Amino acid sequence: MRRWKRSAQLVMFLLPAIIIVAVFVYVFLGWSLWLSLTDWKGLGGTGEFVGLKNYIKMFTNDRIFIKSLKNTLVLSGIFIGVTIPLGLFNAILLDMGLRGRRLFRLIYLMPLSFSFVVSATMWLWMYAPESGAINTLLRMIGLGSLAQPWITASSQSIPSLAIIYIWQFSGFATLVYYAGIARVPQQLIEAALVDGASTFRKYISIIIPLQRPATITTVVLLLMYSLRVFDLVWLTTGGGPGYSSQILSTYMWRVTFNRNQFAYGAAIGIFMFLLSMVILIPFLTLVRRGEEA
Amino acid sequence: MRLFINRLVKHKYFIYIILLGLSFFYLFPIYAMVNTSLKDTPELAYGPIQLAKGFNLSAYGEAFQRIKQPYVNSAIMAVSATVLSSFIGAMSGYVLSRYRFRGSSIVFFLIIIGFYVAPQSILIPLVRFMGMLGIYNTYFALILTHTAYGIPITTLLFKNYFDPIPTALVESAQIDGCSVIGVFTKIMLPLALPGFAVVGIFQFTNIWNDYLYGLTLTQGVASQPVTVAVANLKGTTVAAWNVHMAGAFMSSIPVLVIYLFFLRLIIKGLLMGSVKE
Repeated sequence: MRRWKRSAQLVMFLLPAIIIVAVFVYVFLGWSLWLSLTDWKGLGGTGEFVGLKNYIKMFTNDRIFIKSLKNTLVLSGIFIGVTIPLGLFNAILLDMGLRGRRLFRLIYLMPLSFSFVVSATMWLWMYAPESGAINTLLRMIGLGSLAQPWITASSQSIPSLAIIYIWQFSGFATLVYYAGIARVPQQLIEAALVDGASTFRKYISIIIPLQRPATITTVVLLLMYSLRVFDLVWLTTGGGPGYSSQILSTYMWRVTFNRNQFAYGAAIGIFMFLLSMVILIPFLTLVRRGEEA
Repeated sequence: MRLFINRLVKHKYFIYIILLGLSFFYLFPIYAMVNTSLKDTPELAYGPIQLAKGFNLSAYGEAFQRIKQPYVNSAIMAVSATVLSSFIGAMSGYVLSRYRFRGSSIVFFLIIIGFYVAPQSILIPLVRFMGMLGIYNTYFALILTHTAYGIPITTLLFKNYFDPIPTALVESAQIDGCSVIGVFTKIMLPLALPGFAVVGIFQFTNIWNDYLYGLTLTQGVASQPVTVAVANLKGTTVAAWNVHMAGAFMSSIPVLVIYLFFLRLIIKGLLMGSVKE
């Protein structure tokens, strides 16, 4: 009897979370999947079942989708490829025990506090070709010839966006690595120093190899964000010029809410889900394995 | 190369130069925003770098008129959804941390996956669902949405928070005849108060900064969050950069204040959500 009561209480504690997540995540995913198999075009009426037609169209008859997929992957690649080493570099600098390191840590984390709407606003002003802050600064210090068109040029829009991502998230990577470095057992470092290891050796041979867990968890979170970020691109380039910086999240929104192709938008959404699972699950299993070890 | 680096790191000022150079990268956009927000329209012509002549708050007045209702909406939305998702996450995280039963790890896994699902994958059903509930275009829709999508991460954070608490405490209370609710309210909740601070701040900053759900689920200043209102400042008047920046900066103040005064809790939340302690 008491056992039964206990189980009932456990269920009561879990039920709100289970019901809400079941509806908002799993029912909605199934609903999206079902919509993606129809030709539903918006609020009036319901669509006809068309099977995989939307998915076939995505890959055979929609160059913008392919471009968006490519852009998403390139953007994520640049973003993570720079943020991880930069975060590690920052963390090592902060680890050198200089005075003021807490202030520097705060400064590096500062960009993370801003919404993507605010970062987009700031960086529009940074990148404006004529009156923007970067080009103005370059002209002020006599490097006017280095002024760039930034997000207004097709060839530069993706790298320019990557810089904003890096600006916003490298403080986070710094933080995780800083905590990771602090967890390296002090005896290991002391033993190496007794053996006459240089500062360079200390980091290269002892500290950095132990940062694998920190690297995996950071990569997972950065990947997750870079696959879903919408606001930052939507409010700076809007996917342009042309389609040069269109990514999956902005293209999904445009298709769905500007063109009312709801079923096709749902198909892109489901594709994004599959893509993130395919990319993230190997990393998540690495995280789990790290926990068990 | 190696010797060169070893020699360089011995000079503290060299490290300081790099630290300051990086600080410039992180702070320069913020400077450009705040500096521009303090200028009036004629002063804008001097460009974004030249220091504003004084504290000219005219841009703030204009921006405030346009974002004050959304500001209130955001406050209501973020506070309600933070409280709700934290409580629900505390309950589920507590049970999943303390009790092992058949399928408990699967339940945990299925909840956590929700954190990794991109909003775009569930966005269209979400809009339809809010329409069916009759709360589309109200901040109730946003409260419900942020509560729901906050639960996976609050569950994870609270489970990580409860895990290191010794089981002996719980067991002795159970022997004393405490029920699940009794253990939770008498032992765990008091211990969890610092956890609520960490999770609450983590949730509040995330929800306050959201744009996509606000853009999709609301229309017009009566219900939209401040992020959407700030984004809309851009299109209205030509090149009113000062007003746009003033609105952007004002919308950032609550989270900036949290970062400045509760950085320890922010850091704890970020690390708890990423690194398993």
